[in-house]
Amino acid sequence: MAANSQKLPQKESGIFKKVVRSYECKQYKNGLKFAKQILSNPKHSDHGETLAMKGLILNCIGKKDDAYDCVRRGLKNDLTSHVCWHVYGLLQRSDKKYDEAIKAYRNALKHDKENVQILRDLSLLQVQMRDMDGFCDTRYQLLKVRPAQRSSWVGYALAYHMNNDFEMALKVMGEYRKTQAPPQKLPDYEFSEMILYEVQLLMESGAYKDALKFLEDFRHYVSDMLAYAEIKGDILLRDKRFEEAELIFHDLIHRNPENLMYYQKLEECLNITSDENRMELYRVLKEEFPRSHVCRKVPLGFLKGPAFRDMIDQYLRPPLHKGVPSLWIGLKALYENKEKAQVIEELVLLYEKNLQSCNKFHPEDPDPMEPPSAILWVWFFLAQHFDRCGDHRRALEYIDKSIDHTPTHIELYMLKSKIYKHAGDLEEAALWMDEARSMDTADRFVNCKCVKYLLRVNKIDRAIETAGLFTREGMPPLQTMDDMQCMWFQKELARAYWRSGQYGEALVKYHEIDKHFDDIIEDQFDFHTYCMRKMTLRPYVGVLRLEDRIRGHRFYFDSAHDIIELYLYLYDNPDAKRAKDAPIAEEIEQDLSHLSESERRKIKRKQRKALAKAKEKAAEQEKEKEKENKPRHDDDRKAATDENKIKFNPKELLNVEDPLNEANKFLKPLQSMCTGNIRTHLLAYAIHSRRRKYLLMLQSLKRAFSCDPENPTLHCYIVDYVLTLEKERPELPDPVHTVIDDCIPRLTDGGKSPDELNQSFIAKHSNSLEHLVAAAQVLYKLHPDYRTKAIAMVTNLSDSLIDRSLRTCRNVHKFLSSGFLGDCSDELASYSSQCHALFPFASSFKPPVEAGKELESSPASPGDAPPCVGVAGRSPAAQKES
Amino acid sequence: MPRIVDARMELGDVTVHNLKQLKKLNAVILPVAYSDKFYTDVLELGNLAKLAYYNDVVVGGVCCRIDHEGDKRKLYIMTLGCLAAYRRHGVGTMLFNHVMKIAKEDGNIDCIFLHVQVSNDEAITFYKKFGFEIVGKKENYYKRIDPPDAFILQKEMKTSNGSEESEQNTSK
Ligand SMILES: CC(C)(COP(=O)(O)OP(=O)(O)OC[C@H]1O[C@@H](n2cnc3c(N)ncnc32)[C@H](O)[C@@H]1OP(=O)(O)O)[C@@H](O)C(=O)NCCC(=O)NCCS
Repeated sequence: MAANSQKLPQKESGIFKKVVRSYECKQYKNGLKFAKQILSNPKHSDHGETLAMKGLILNCIGKKDDAYDCVRRGLKNDLTSHVCWHVYGLLQRSDKKYDEAIKAYRNALKHDKENVQILRDLSLLQVQMRDMDGFCDTRYQLLKVRPAQRSSWVGYALAYHMNNDFEMALKVMGEYRKTQAPPQKLPDYEFSEMILYEVQLLMESGAYKDALKFLEDFRHYVSDMLAYAEIKGDILLRDKRFEEAELIFHDLIHRNPENLMYYQKLEECLNITSDENRMELYRVLKEEFPRSHVCRKVPLGFLKGPAFRDMIDQYLRPPLHKGVPSLWIGLKALYENKEKAQVIEELVLLYEKNLQSCNKFHPEDPDPMEPPSAILWVWFFLAQHFDRCGDHRRALEYIDKSIDHTPTHIELYMLKSKIYKHAGDLEEAALWMDEARSMDTADRFVNCKCVKYLLRVNKIDRAIETAGLFTREGMPPLQTMDDMQCMWFQKELARAYWRSGQYGEALVKYHEIDKHFDDIIEDQFDFHTYCMRKMTLRPYVGVLRLEDRIRGHRFYFDSAHDIIELYLYLYDNPDAKRAKDAPIAEEIEQDLSHLSESERRKIKRKQRKALAKAKEKAAEQEKEKEKENKPRHDDDRKAATDENKIKFNPKELLNVEDPLNEANKFLKPLQSMCTGNIRTHLLAYAIHSRRRKYLLMLQSLKRAFSCDPENPTLHCYIVDYVLTLEKERPELPDPVHTVIDDCIPRLTDGGKSPDELNQSFIAKHSNSLEHLVAAAQVLYKLHPDYRTKAIAMVTNLSDSLIDRSLRTCRNVHKFLSSGFLGDCSDELASYSSQCHALFPFASSFKPPVEAGKELESSPASPGDAPPCVGVAGRSPAAQKES
Repeated sequence: MPRIVDARMELGDVTVHNLKQLKKLNAVILPVAYSDKFYTDVLELGNLAKLAYYNDVVVGGVCCRIDHEGDKRKLYIMTLGCLAAYRRHGVGTMLFNHVMKIAKEDGNIDCIFLHVQVSNDEAITFYKKFGFEIVGKKENYYKRIDPPDAFILQKEMKTSNGSEESEQNTSK
C-alpha cells in the first residue's frame, strides 16, 4: 500500500485530530462519530490510523472483538504508522499480553523514534515484566528526548540500579544533582529523598564510608531524621565506631523506647557478652525509660534461676492487677524453656493461693488490696498456661472458674474455645467461639475467629452467613471476601469444601487466592509512574523487590501446597470427581430420611423455593454489577480488568485434562521462591514420580536432602526411588544412569540398601513417632510379613517419645485406618482407647457412643493415603497451624 | 471495705451488640429469669438502661422505667445488680447515682421505688443507705422462688418542704 494513499487531505486530517482528542477526553461517542465521517468516504474507508483509533475507542466501550478487527485492519493498511502500532500495543496491553504489547511498541518506535508517549508506555511494561536491559535502553532514549525532566534522570539511574550497576546509577544521579541548585526553602522532601536514595545506592554498592560522608555532607537537606539516624547508626556500627554509634542508638531509643532492634544494636555497640553485663545495661535503661515495655521484657529472655524468678514476679504483677488480657501471649516464647515455664507456674499458683487468703499477690506486700478482677486474670493466665503445657483438663478447670466469676467477659469464652480446639474437640470449640461472638456482635475479630472455627467443622453455610454479618450489604459475602482479598477465609473455606468432598468448589477458592497474587503483581502499575514522579524511590525499590518474591509469601505457599495435594488426589482417584458432583442434594436426601412423606415434601418444596429465590437474587446482583461496571471508563485499565475478571467454574476446574500439569503450575513459584522449605521439594517429588520423570525426581530428592536429610517423608521417598529404579533401570538411557549413579550414594549414606537405610533410620529416631511411622511404612513395604512389627512401631505411645502429640497420634490413627497395613480394626480400637486416655477431649479418639458428634471426614480427606506408595502428603487439616 | 484506688469504673450503653452481656449478667445476679421481650424492650430504654464496667469488664447493670400512677410519675427500678465477686466496691452506688441523676434531671419524678425479696438483706441495707424506706409488702410477688414475698422500697423525691435530697456517695 502506497504511503500517500494513507495521507488524509486537510479537512479530514482536521477531523482525525478531533477523533484523537475525543479519545483523550473519553468522549467515546463523539470519537466514533468523527471516525465515521472519515471512513464513510470511500476514498478513506481503509485509512489505517483512523481505523486504529476507532478500534481503540471500541475497546474502551467494551466491544473487544470489533476493536481487534478495526485495529488489525488499520495496521494492515498502514504498517509504517507509529499510531497503528502503538494502538495495537495498547490493545494487547489491555488484554495483559505484555510481551506482545512490548513488541508492538518497539515497532511503533521504529517509525517514530522519539515519541515520548510510546517510550513511556514501553518503559512501564519493561519494568513491569522485569526486562531490565530493555528498560535501561528505553530510559536512556527518554533521557535523550527529555533531558530537562527530573523523572528522565531518575528513571535512568533506577534502571541501572535494578541491573545492579551501582556505579552508573550513582553517576547518573550525581550528574543530575549537579544541574540542580540545592533547595532554598527547607524542608524539601523530594530533595531529601533524592539524597537518601543516593545514600542507599552507595550502601548497596558496599561503599559505606562514602555513604556516611555523603550523608553528612548533605545532612542539612535531609528531612527524614529517623532514616538519617538509623542509616548513620548502622554505618557507624559496621565501621566499628562503637562510641559514636552508641550515642545514636541511645537517641533512637529515646525516640521510640519500644523498638527492640535499637536495643539489640545498642548491645552490639557496647560489645555485651555476659548476662551480668546485659542485666546491668537493662537495669540502667529501665531507670531511664521506666515506661518501656521492651526494657522489662528482654531480660526475661536471658535471665536464669532466682534472677529470672524475681524479674518475672515483678513483670507479672502490674498487668494482673490492671487486667491485661494479652499478658500471657507476650510470654509464650518463654515456654520454649521448660524450667522457666515451671517457675511461672509455681509463681502464679502462689498468687492464686495468696489472693484467696489475703487478697494480695504476696502477703508481705505493702501495696493495698488487689481488685476483685485480679483473681480473674490469674485464673485466665493459668488456663492459658496449662493449655500450653498440654494439660487441657486443668486449663478447662481454670477457664470455667473464671467464667463463673465473671460470666460477662468475652475473652474468657474465646479462650475456652481455643482450649477445646487444642484439645482436639473442634465442635465444642466452634460452639464456644460462637457464644463469644454473640456477646459482642460489633467485634469483627471474634466474628472472624468464629467463621474460621465453623469452617473447621465444615459448617460452611453457617460460616458464610456469619461472615456476612460484616461484609458489604447487598452483596453476597463470598464476593466481598474475594474482593477484599481475604485469603485466610478463602483458604479455610477451600479446606472445608475439600473435607466435605466438594473438590470443585475447593479448587475455585484456591484459584481465587492465586489470582490475588496476580492482582498484587498487577497493582505495581500504579507505582511505576507515580514513584518516579514523586521521588519516593526508596520505597519504590522496596516494592519492586517485594513483588519479585511475592509468591514466596506464606499465604501463597499454604494454598499452593494444598491445591497441589488436591490435584494429586484427583489424579490418583479419578472417580472422586463424579462421586461428589452434587453433594448438597445428597445431604438433603439423607437428612430427611427420618421424616414422614408429607413432611418431607413440604421441606423439599421450601428448599426448592429458597433455591429459586437465591438464584434469582444472584442473577439480579450480577445484573446490578454489570450496570455498575459499564459507565465507568474513566480508567481504561481498571475497566478492562473488571471485564477480564476471571470467574472460576468448579466443574471446569475439576474436569481438567491433566491434574498433574495443573499441580505443576502451582509448584513452579514455590520452586523459585520457597527453596528453603523442604515441603516444596517433597511436593515436586510427588508430582514427578507420578509422571515418571526420573531425573526430576532425583533433583527433588537432592534438594529436599539439602534442606533436612532426616525428614521422615524424604526417607520414604528415597526408598521409593531406589525401589523404582531397580525395576525401571533397564528402560532408562545411559546418560541418565550416569547421573543417577553419581547422586544416589549421597542420598543413601554411601549406597546402603533400603533395608540397611531403614534400620539405621529406626536406630537413629527410635524416640520420634513421626519418624517411626515413616520407617514402619518402609518396613512393611520391604517385608509384608513384618506387619505385626510395623503396627507395633506406630502404635508405640511410650513416654520417651519426643513427639507424642495429638497431631502425631491422629496421623497414626489415620494411617492405620488407611488400610495400608491391611485391616487394622482391632489394633485401631485398642489404639483409640489408649489415645483417649491421653487426650480425653479429642473427638478422634472418643469411644463410639460418645463419638456421635465426631467430625465426619470425607473419604477423600487428604493424607489418608500413606506417603510411601501413593506418595501423598499430609492433609491440610493435619498440619494446620494452631 | 476499702476501695481499690486505681480501679477504673464507668457506665456504658446497652446496645443490640452487647445485649447478651446484660442477659448473662442478670442470669447470675437476679433470682428471676426475664423474658426475651424484656430484653428487646431494654433496647428502647435509652438512658434508663446502663452497664457498669469495672476495669473494662462488664460487672453490673441497671434497667428502669417510668410508671404513671394517676397524676404521679414514679421511677421504677426493674433490675439493678452487680456480680457477686465485685460487690462492695462501689459499683452499685455508681449505678444508683445514675438513676438518681436521671430522676433529678427529669425534675418531675415523685419517687423512686422497687421490689425486693424480703430475705434480701444485702439489697435492703444497700437501698436504706440511700434513703429508701419499706412502704409495703406484696405477698406471693414471686412465683418460683422462696420466700415468695417482696417488700416495696421507696424513696420520695419531692419532700414536703420542696427541697431535694442531694446525691449520695458512700465511699469512705
Ligand atoms: C445490692 C447490690 C446492687 C449492691 O451492690 P454493690 O456494688 O455491692 O454496692 P456498693 O459497693 O456501692 O455498696 C454501697 C453501700 O451499700 C451497703 N451495702 C451493700 N451491700 C452490703 C452488704 N452485703 N452488707 C452491708 N452493707 C451493704 C454498704 O453500706 C455499702 O457501702 P460500703 O461498702 O462502703 O460499706 C448488690 O449486692 C447486688 O447486686 N445484689 C444482688 C441484686 C439485687 O438483689 N438487687 C436488688 C433488686 S433490684
